[in-house]
Amino acid sequence: MIRFFEQYKAETDRFFDEVFSSNGNPRVHYDKLLHRFRQFSPEDIKARREIINIFFRNQGITFTVYGVDEGIERIFPFDLIPRILPADEWKTIERGLVQRITALNEFLFDIYHTQKILKDKVVPAELILGSKHFAREFVGVNPPLGVYIHITGSDIIRDRNGSYMVLEDNLRTPSGVSYMLQNRQAMKRAFPVVFEKYKVRPIENYPQELLRTLQEISPPSRREPNVVVLTPGIYNSAYFEHSFLARQMGVELTEGKDLVVNDNRVYTRTTRGLERVDVIYRRVDDSFLDPLVFRPDSKLGVAGLINAYRKGNVALANAIGTGVADDKVIYSFVPKIIRYYLGEDPILENVPTWLASNPSDLKYILENLGSLVVKSANESGGYGMLVGPESTLEEQEKFAEMIVANPRNYIAQPTISLSRHPSFHNDTDLYGCHIDLRPYVLFGKTITILPGGLTRVALKRGSLVVNSSQGGGSKDTWVIDE
Amino acid sequence: MLSRVAESLFWMSRYFERAENTARFLDVNFNLLLDLNKISLVENPNYWIALILVTSDRDSFNDLYNEYTARTVTDYLVFNRNNPNSIISCINLARENARSVIESISSEMWEQVNKLYHFLQSSAPQTVHTDPSGFYKEIKNASHLFQGITDNTFSRNEGWDFIQIGKYLERSDNVARLIDVKYHMLLPENRSREEVIEDSEDIIQWMAVLKSCSALEAFRKVYLSKIDPETILQFLILDRTFPRSINFSVCAAEDALWRISGSSRHRYVNNADLLIGKMEAELSYTSIDDILSKGLHNYLEELEERLMKIGEQVHLTYFAYHTPEIEPTEIEEALPFTGIGGGRAIWSQAQQQQQQ
Repeated sequence: MIRFFEQYKAETDRFFDEVFSSNGNPRVHYDKLLHRFRQFSPEDIKARREIINIFFRNQGITFTVYGVDEGIERIFPFDLIPRILPADEWKTIERGLVQRITALNEFLFDIYHTQKILKDKVVPAELILGSKHFAREFVGVNPPLGVYIHITGSDIIRDRNGSYMVLEDNLRTPSGVSYMLQNRQAMKRAFPVVFEKYKVRPIENYPQELLRTLQEISPPSRREPNVVVLTPGIYNSAYFEHSFLARQMGVELTEGKDLVVNDNRVYTRTTRGLERVDVIYRRVDDSFLDPLVFRPDSKLGVAGLINAYRKGNVALANAIGTGVADDKVIYSFVPKIIRYYLGEDPILENVPTWLASNPSDLKYILENLGSLVVKSANESGGYGMLVGPESTLEEQEKFAEMIVANPRNYIAQPTISLSRHPSFHNDTDLYGCHIDLRPYVLFGKTITILPGGLTRVALKRGSLVVNSSQGGGSKDTWVIDE
Repeated sequence: MLSRVAESLFWMSRYFERAENTARFLDVNFNLLLDLNKISLVENPNYWIALILVTSDRDSFNDLYNEYTARTVTDYLVFNRNNPNSIISCINLARENARSVIESISSEMWEQVNKLYHFLQSSAPQTVHTDPSGFYKEIKNASHLFQGITDNTFSRNEGWDFIQIGKYLERSDNVARLIDVKYHMLLPENRSREEVIEDSEDIIQWMAVLKSCSALEAFRKVYLSKIDPETILQFLILDRTFPRSINFSVCAAEDALWRISGSSRHRYVNNADLLIGKMEAELSYTSIDDILSKGLHNYLEELEERLMKIGEQVHLTYFAYHTPEIEPTEIEEALPFTGIGGGRAIWSQAQQQQQQ
């Protein structure tokens, strides 16, 4: 029998390890888990891995990798060892997120109305007004309940000392929540015994909570709101998630061509005629939503949708123009934004960020490309970034050119050695993989955060990039009661 | 149900049926050539040109190949991705349609579409040439299995009816084409009917037509060994009990259409119901002599035309649902019917969506 954890090297001198503290002993909340896993033989692990693979394959849980002509469907890699968050740590994360999302929502309301924060010069006006995500068409429009960001998924990491920090706010169309739900199901199926030992807080009610949030923003005159999910279609990498959420909520999954606007009202085309739509959970980018307002060549949108929205006849989640607040440049202002609107200190820290648009920062960035992580302000999914310590001189030179040509589009951060968590390698031995955490926040009449979230794992040995498009995987994430 | 979902179910079913029928045509043609004991003549272009005529895209075939041989025709009808009616194209489209309604079909149905898709992706043309019947049997069985799974896992709701309409409209069209082409080959104008019946080689060919519809045994039970063109036509066009005859297929499509709209005999509510009711009634009160005196080719051509009209009306009534004051849709815009609209443009835009 192989003692998986006995052979595991935590390297706590270099990294923060989620399971083992620096003296080499396991953290208290992992005790029972380790005890269980000690009783598993490699054959047990293999058998359970097989159960999980079949589960994922049958559910069709795949994502698409871009850059290949037709797009290849792959199973999202899943690691068998769950990540455990003790109740008190989770409480801090929860409070921090409520604070952050509340402030960001006020910020969005402000810049789409009086723009007080710009007039007070807390955030430079040109950063907002010049941002490609700023929706000029949308100034002065009141979204239902004054909420812009109904569904968000901020990325949280831990640094060398184990303090939680926000790395990114995803305020447009955060994805991955279906993996969170499926991971839990897979774990329950493969390791029922391990579950019994812990009081894991449930997340299975996410689809109901999501539906409730969407119903809450429906136009008030509509008694039984008709909610639909709007997907870009089967060629989108997250199509599985869109169909999954629609099925779980029991609502229609629609594409742009299923919807039609008449007299500023939105309808689905059905075999029995038109049916009124009240709320759209849209997974289509702003610029493709309405060919009359945004990109005229969009095949994914609905002509007239934005006008119907302005009139208050249909609600969109998330609102238009939220991308202006999750831009990586604006990110560096979030602590100031929190202080400005709430008069509080941020509970969750930011990662220090240098802005290339700022001349002194630019100089620092260019001189330290080898040690920094450089990110393009508007890209997501791990595309368009340079990880300094892993890059070649050639790549650094290429990035230097791009940064100088378009400084507004780049930021840099120190290379954080993300915390590590033991993960299986070929189901035979364990090694420490870098992880992050994406909790999902719902914002309707109140803010609801599902306990846990998606823990993404950089399964490639030594890699810091956790995105699924870059070879990342995920873990089930347990928030436990005391 | 959403028009798009209904449309995708319709086309998923239709493409699956088309793939199966193409496999049947090819399978029988191989068998026929063996039956005729003309192995040396397997390359006889006359036997292969007929298959291209059934799927009626002779011009696009000629753009790609110089000659009608077992190899070129098989390649074109099974593997060619530029031929929208090749088996591989049909199964790709059936799968795309299934994928776009994955939340509406059972996971078993999805798995079955997927399985056939992967089977075709991994098949090399060589395997078809070495074991044609094994290969085509695989496809036919996959289609039967898909229908059986659908039968056992899909609720009998509107979606089910659209699946049936797709299947039976496609089947009646395919059978009509098959008869038309064979009749052309077997009954040239300059030969009398007696001559044909005498000719044993032709009898074998007519048996092949029956076989390609899996109809030989069913036919024998009704007509014993009296195999002549008239009884065969009677059976394939007018029989009301055999599930691959035109009359049966039209009745089945009619039932499904009526279930959706609530129409009944003498009371139709839309044009699709009107046209299918008319066709069914005519098939029920037509004799084979009526058909022959009209001229078989004319009759079949008209039948195909009218099946197409029914398809158009189904499209306009249920799929292209539009209120004229909102967006006057021309029927040309609504065509071509493939179920998956927009093609490449949608594909590339859908990929661009940033899922954070």
